[in-house]
Order: sequence, then structure tokens, then C-alpha cells
Amino acid sequence: MVNGLRTMYAWKEIEAHSALPVGKVNVEQLCSSGGSGVVSSSLPVLPTTVEEFPKLPDSQNILTGKQIRSDQLTPHYTPFVADSGNVQPLYPSPSGFSLDLDISSILPHERHTNSTSLVSQSLNEVCLPSAYSSYTGAFQASTSNIPKDPTEVTWCPDSDQGILNCSDDGITGNNQIQSNSIVMSDDLNKQNEWWSEIMNEDWEELLNDKTVAESQPKVVYPAAQSSQTMSVHQSQTHQSVPCHSGEITAVTSSLSTATTAANKPRMRWTPELHECFVNAVNQLGGSDKATPKGVLKLMKMEGLTIYHVKSHLQKYRTARYRPDLSEGMSEKKITQSQEIPSLNLKTGIDLTEALRLQMEVQKQLHEQLEIQRNLQLRIEEQGKYLQMMFEKQCKTTMDKLHAPSTVEEPSNVSTDLTQSTAKIEFPDAGSNPIDSNKTEITQQIGNKRKMPEVEPSNHQDVDAVTDSPSSAAKCARVDDEEA
Amino acid sequence: MQLQRERERERAMKFGKRLKRQIDESLPEWRDKFLCYKDLKKLVKLISAPQPSSKAEAEFICLLNSEIDKFNDFFVDQEEEFIIRQMELQERIKRVAATSAAAEYGRIGTEMVNLHGEMVLLVNYSSINYTGLAKILKKYDKRTGGLLRLPVIEKVLEQPFFTTDLISKLVKECESTMDSMFPAAAPAAQEEAVMMVEQRVFRNAVAALVTMRELRRGSSTYGHFSLPPLTMPDADLLHSLQLPSPIPIL
Repeated sequence: MVNGLRTMYAWKEIEAHSALPVGKVNVEQLCSSGGSGVVSSSLPVLPTTVEEFPKLPDSQNILTGKQIRSDQLTPHYTPFVADSGNVQPLYPSPSGFSLDLDISSILPHERHTNSTSLVSQSLNEVCLPSAYSSYTGAFQASTSNIPKDPTEVTWCPDSDQGILNCSDDGITGNNQIQSNSIVMSDDLNKQNEWWSEIMNEDWEELLNDKTVAESQPKVVYPAAQSSQTMSVHQSQTHQSVPCHSGEITAVTSSLSTATTAANKPRMRWTPELHECFVNAVNQLGGSDKATPKGVLKLMKMEGLTIYHVKSHLQKYRTARYRPDLSEGMSEKKITQSQEIPSLNLKTGIDLTEALRLQMEVQKQLHEQLEIQRNLQLRIEEQGKYLQMMFEKQCKTTMDKLHAPSTVEEPSNVSTDLTQSTAKIEFPDAGSNPIDSNKTEITQQIGNKRKMPEVEPSNHQDVDAVTDSPSSAAKCARVDDEEA
Repeated sequence: MQLQRERERERAMKFGKRLKRQIDESLPEWRDKFLCYKDLKKLVKLISAPQPSSKAEAEFICLLNSEIDKFNDFFVDQEEEFIIRQMELQERIKRVAATSAAAEYGRIGTEMVNLHGEMVLLVNYSSINYTGLAKILKKYDKRTGGLLRLPVIEKVLEQPFFTTDLISKLVKECESTMDSMFPAAAPAAQEEAVMMVEQRVFRNAVAALVTMRELRRGSSTYGHFSLPPLTMPDADLLHSLQLPSPIPIL
């Protein structure tokens, strides 16, 4: 594992811009397991390795630095790069990731946290597939961050001609994607080979596990699943069990099957992309005359499928020619909306004022929502930080334990640790003198009350405490001030 | 301890009740897109603490995942529509500005304000569901002694339905467009505002603000992750806008 890490770092340095669609797809399929059946069966088998998976593919979806700098990228994608560690692709399977987290939270996994965060850090630098780099505009950002769209996943590996044996699906959607995808450079092929070698070491065990293989179909199609799709997936998966790239083949094929199956491909539109769409439509003579195929051709966006265009065109037509219907039913209450302006006129307030008023309330709501959101983000960050601090302190305390040892110490330390937890994680216990310095943090977050989980007796023990908690508290305090 | 638990349950019910109220006030097609808080709560209750990987737990996580998928799908779909509508309105404004048809201006203005409202409601939708998720995860952790909350919330923060930056940007664009279309005039009286509330979008926004304020008023279970009470500049306006009980919209 360590070797793998080192190689990955080196690799990152060399080809930071290479793509890892392969890894991403594979891991996703392995990790994301939405079914309840998976939990029970895979738990005993994958205690240690599962946790790594969610982190590995995450970075694959992270935009490169240059892409982020592009104005057309929607700003909220930047955190993907900023964060290290637990970055997730937006879509492929929030289900899967949650499930993995459950597994990892239940089982002891501390020692893996570090290694996996290293892994993900290196992966964070990994760019999107080279196919991405040729994309213009926001579409790149959209699709790269919306992996729920099976097509997005599909065409990634498609471009890895050297590695994958992309099976012939004969599906229009897939064909279209393949024709649009960029041919990988030799370098990229090498990267992917190297990548799969590294992955193989870690995942051989997993790949040989039937349970995981069986879970994959669920992974791919968390939404509606056709049995046909699943069987395709399964059979191919079993074939490719020993080989990493083989896995991807299976996944790819099944995904492309899914594209034409029940699932509508999902992607996230942006204003820029929409503008491109509108231009294409106008070139073709308007929304009535334009066909999805024509628009798709004109737009020349890699990875955009006819399904996307079709549904978008439909929405566009609705918005243009039936503005009342497209107003989200607010105008459907025709009597009411028609009455309001006249009602307002009767009582002396004109439409403008009425609109202004409504706008004002809505504006306030929005402002409050933004504030709330920022608070929530900060709270989570803070929580993470404190958790980290606690873990560090735990470690320090454990190290100290291993030095001089008396019989009493273990029991003392455990209570001390609990107290440290109490102090570090619940700094709002105001009666504790050591915690008083932490109130600055709490004030940032908001007024707090006593945490129900903290037993009052803990506070009494504080004075009788040994070195470790006090130093832990002090350490935490110092660090907080530095933060 | 028992009392605390009871109070927590009360608080939990309150969120459930508030969520329900918010849902009732919502536009009809939104109503089944909200978090199934009650169902998740039921599942949490079924979970037995000593056996972490029981079937009930798996069910809980499964439901959680599908809920998140539901949010993402709905959110992205709405977002797409809003982008289209916003651009359309901008186009219409450009066309109308040339002809200066006053009536059209009014219509466009109304549509724009409603679009603005719906977008804000989408942000609110995101926020409510996030809050619900956070609460239910907290319950889960409490019940099982597990550490599900933190990692799941981390993932949630990156989900499409929570990344509302684009929508917020569109909202602000709407606001600036409105400002340019209808330059500042005298502030409207508050009584007239009451009539405005008949409009569904508007009413939903008011309800959302009220709910938010109540949710944040005070909690018996303050923790690290609780939000402070809402501080609103114009609390009186909001108060006067509150309707006694919503008239069901069929």
C-alpha cells in the first residue's frame, strides 16, 4: 500500500493533467452500493478496503486548476479542489458513498483515514480525462461534476482505447459519444496502465469477491433498474473480476446499456451552456424548427447527448410559447393572479409597488438562506476541525501512555480521554474553567447550551485530572487561537 | 435524562411539524420532493443500538441515499428550468425596452418576481432538506452511537442540491434586473402587502421565512451544529404578512 502511495505521488507530479476515468468508473462501481443487501453481506468481507474507495474516484471529478480559473465554471465546483480527502463526485452515487461511510463508521478504520487522505490528496491534483481538456465552456464543468449521467461515465472510458476493450453495444447514444470522444494520447494510456497496476494491488482482493461484484449493478443504477441491465452488468463483471481494466469494461458496457434503458441521462445545465444552446437553436431557425439532432451537432459539446438536448429543448419550447404554464403554476391560478393587480389598483397600490413588496420579502428570505448556509458550512468545518484535534490528542495521549506505565493509568486515561472529548467537542460546557477560552469559538457558531451528552460528573473530575487532558485542552486552545 | 429525551422528541416533532407546514405551503409539484423526515425517523427508532449492521440500519441508509438522489434530481431539474426562464425574460425585456409597451413591462415584471420567488424557494428547499438530513443523522448517531453523521454530511455538502451558488447568482441577477426595470420609489404600506400574499409564490416565501425563524428560535438540544436564532431586519413586515392558516390549494 505504501509503495502504491509513493508511486501515485510520483505519478501525480509527472502527469498532473492526466485523466483517470478508468479509476473513477471502477471505483464508483465498486464503492457505490445502494442496496441494503450489500451492507450485510459485504461488511465482514471489506472492513478495511472499502473505505478507500469513495475517496479514490472523488478526485477524478475534480476540475483542474486551469479549468477552475475559467470564468464559465460555476463557482461552487471549486471546493472540490480546495478540499482534500473526502471530495465526492456530485452524482454517481451519493447513495453509494453514504453506504460506504456507514460501513467505515461502524468498523474501526482509523488507520486507513490517513492513507486514504493521502491518496485522495494526490488524486485531487489529477485532472479530468484529456477528453475534458478539449471542452469549451461550462459544459465541461457541468458534466464533469454531474456523474449521475451515465453517459458522462461512459465516454470517459471510451476514450481510453488503449486500455479498455470497449465492447460493442450498438447503442446509438453510446456510438454518438464514442464518435465525439477524443482519442487518448499515448501518455495518457501509459498513465492509465500505471494507475490500474496500482489499483490492482489494492483491489485484487476486492475484485475477487463475488459479493462486491454482485453489488455493482446496484451501484450503477441507483434509480430505476432493469433486470436486463443488471444481468449484463453481472455477467461482464464476473468475467473481468481479476483485472482492473476489465472491470471498467463491464461497467462501461452496462452503463451504456443503462443510457438507453429507463434512465434519462442527467446533467447540470449552466447559463453559458444554455446560451450556446439558444444560439444553436436560433441558427436552425427557432425552437419549432430546430431538432435535437441538429442542435446537438451545432453545439459541438463533448459528452452532450441527444437526450440532454431533447429534454432541454422541450423545456425551452414550453418556456417560450406558454409562459403561463412554465411559470411553475404560480400563474396557473389565473383568477388569483389576475385579481391581484386589479385588487391592488383598487386600493391604491400599483403593480410596481406590489411587485416591489413581494420582491422585498423574497430577497430577505434569500439573504437569510445565504447566511444560514454559510453558517452551516462553517459549523461543519469547525466540527471537522475539532474532530481532527480530538483525534490528534487521542494519538498524543496514547503515545504518552506507552511510555511510563502504571497499573492505574489505563483506566485513568480512558476517562481522561472521554473528558478530553467532552472538552474538545463540547466546548460550551461553560462551567469548566479550561473551556472558557473556547467560548470564542462557540460564539462564532452561535449561542450554545449544555450538551446533553456531557455528564455533569465529568466536570468534577476535571480538577483531579492528569496531565494529558489538560495538555490536550491547552493544545486545542492554542491551536484554536491559531486557526 | 428521561426528561431531556422527551424534550428532544418534542423538538423533533416540531421540526417534523414545521417541515410538514412548509410542504403544505409549497407549490404542489414540489410537495413530494421534500425529505421524508417521518419515515427516516421511524427507521431510526427501529434500529437497535447493540447491533450496528442490522437490517433496519441498512434500510435507513438506503432510504437516505434515495432521498439524496431525489433531491439532486429535482434540484437540477428545477435549476435547468430557471436558467431557461431567466434567459427568456431577459430576452423579452430587451425586446420590450425597444417598444416600451407598458402593459408588457408589468407582465414581465410579475413573471420575473415570481421566477425570483421560485428560485429563492428552491434555495429554501435545499436548506430545509439539509437541515432535516442533519437532524435525522444526529438522531441516528445518538441511537446507534455511530459516526454516520459527519462523513455523510460532508458528502451532502457537495451534492448538487446543496450547491446553490448558481441559483443564488441568478437570484441576484433577477434583483438587479428588477431594480433597473422598476427604479426605486416610495416604500409600500404594509397593509397592502397582505393582499400580495394571495399569490402562491409569495405566500410560500413568507411561510419559508416564518418557518426558518421558528426553527432557529431556540432549541433544547443545542449543540455544535445548531444555528443561532434568526435575526431579520424587518420582522414587523413578516409578522403582518403571516396568514392564520393556509387555505389548501387544490
